[in-house]
Amino acid sequence: MELVREIQSEIEKRSLSGGGWASGDGRRAGIETTCYALMALRDRPGRARDTAIDLLLRTQNPDGSWPAFEGDDREGCWTTSLVVIALRFARSPAALVEKGVRWLLNNKGREGHWFWNWKFRTADRAVQFDPDKYGWPWFPGTVSWVIPTAFSLIALRKSPPCCRTESIVHRIQLGTEMLRDRVCPSGGWNAGNGVVFGAALNAHIDTTAIALLALAGDNGQASSSRALEWLRAACVECPSAYGLAWAAIALAIRQDAAAGLCLAHLRAALSATHTLANIETLSLAAIAISDAEGNANPFHVEI
Amino acid sequence: MNRRDWLVASAAVTGSAVTMRFQKRKYVRGLRPKRSRIAILRADQYSDKLDELVYDGLLLFNLDIRGKSVLLKPNLVEYIPGKPVNTDAYLIGAAAEGFLRLGAASVTVAEGPGHHRDTDFLLYKTDLTDQLARRKIQFVDLNRDELIKTKLEASYSGLGHLWLPRTVLAADFIVSMPKVKTHHWARVTLSMKNMFGLVPGSRYGWPKNILHWAGIHESILDICATVRPRFVIADGIVAMDGDGPLNGAPRHLKTILLADDPVAADSTLARLMGFRPEGVMHLREAGRFIGNLLPSAISQLE
Repeated sequence: MELVREIQSEIEKRSLSGGGWASGDGRRAGIETTCYALMALRDRPGRARDTAIDLLLRTQNPDGSWPAFEGDDREGCWTTSLVVIALRFARSPAALVEKGVRWLLNNKGREGHWFWNWKFRTADRAVQFDPDKYGWPWFPGTVSWVIPTAFSLIALRKSPPCCRTESIVHRIQLGTEMLRDRVCPSGGWNAGNGVVFGAALNAHIDTTAIALLALAGDNGQASSSRALEWLRAACVECPSAYGLAWAAIALAIRQDAAAGLCLAHLRAALSATHTLANIETLSLAAIAISDAEGNANPFHVEI
Repeated sequence: MNRRDWLVASAAVTGSAVTMRFQKRKYVRGLRPKRSRIAILRADQYSDKLDELVYDGLLLFNLDIRGKSVLLKPNLVEYIPGKPVNTDAYLIGAAAEGFLRLGAASVTVAEGPGHHRDTDFLLYKTDLTDQLARRKIQFVDLNRDELIKTKLEASYSGLGHLWLPRTVLAADFIVSMPKVKTHHWARVTLSMKNMFGLVPGSRYGWPKNILHWAGIHESILDICATVRPRFVIADGIVAMDGDGPLNGAPRHLKTILLADDPVAADSTLARLMGFRPEGVMHLREAGRFIGNLLPSAISQLE
């Protein structure tokens, strides 16, 4: 509990005067960074939390999406799914969140368009994937990638049962299939496809953890079982607190026996440097440790 | 006008429109120097011995570095054990040391890895954490730096502008430090393609897929026209051949190439790798306005 409070204080200390948190040494609030920090503060009352929520509410684009950072062009991007998750966790106005959900439902990877689907099936086979299984891109107009798809799945899966429209169910199904299609041959997920130009790619810890969060509840699936196995092994030698934090969050939600060991590694990685770590790492670490202490996890989805 | 005349006239109009489009200058200003200089250093392995070799190489150029902020931009993409994917940490350390010895006010290593969001992981695994700590050199993750909206100085990609990191725009002297590799789409990935790493993931994703859709060659030209590297230190001690940039085979070129012109550097490296630089679209076009492509305009220092 002590470490979580210390981290939360550090996060509050670094809050920008206009609300939210910047990535690195910047003075402009980053939406991804702010979402993680807001989740890490949980319901801890104070100016930092309140102004962060205000920032997220005022930076929403007219079409319901969110930009990458305060002052960005108003075209919307992948951060929309993270804001939906963060604002739901902070119990913010449902109407704005629902507008974000509608934007997510209208946004899809470029391979979801019939023309590009046809091109990927016939002319462009160097990158091997099934274009019928699409998810979400980082930015509109590009193809689906694992992390934006996984965050969007979490956002949609957190929709209350009463509001699960047919299109939400359909996109959850498609996105889930897309993640299973893009899995690396040795388990887990890389940024996009598992095989490119005939060569197998290695998985990334954070990407694998986030995909496992999105697929929570499918423990019997071979792709998830292999990814879990890969993640357990990868944690042992992971030197990065950021990677360990994501792994600990995913393993904890899956109630995996390796979660404790991963958390111990995370605490060790943080012990000497937590005042130096960036906001993203600090926030994710706080979420992971807080979960182990029995608190609600913002990435948890009802199965 | 009969049908045949109409077809001929339409073809003529379309042809001239297409010709005009291709003839229209797509860059704001010419950046190509009259002559460019390169130096080819021989090294067969990565070690602390590179410090002296690189410093001696830099001295050949009589660079005016005193009091300047130098930004080293290595190529860090992905960690694949046994594959020469990234610029080697020893070479990055040696370059940092070299510029400090030349009187630079500061040296910063900066990169925005294209695939990996966990930059700390990549720095540890490539041994760069150790090199930077040992030499007290700052690292900036360009994927998460503060961004400034920047009008592009060329219009090949049609992107118009990019949000670029403040650290890059504020640097006095940018050094591109590519790993010499083949690339399945761009054919080669050298000092110009290396500048993709300036484009921030926090704004454009991991990877920066928008650049692929806008055209890899076209995006390279627009970025390099806007932020032209002032110097190149290319890691060709162990290069990558075949299915690059991630899955090719090691090729022991035993070469470090230094240059004061990215086009001269990349065209020379392409020739060393057995490519005709004129056959690589972004090199051919960059030879018109960014730097010198032809050997006759490139002096080799020794």
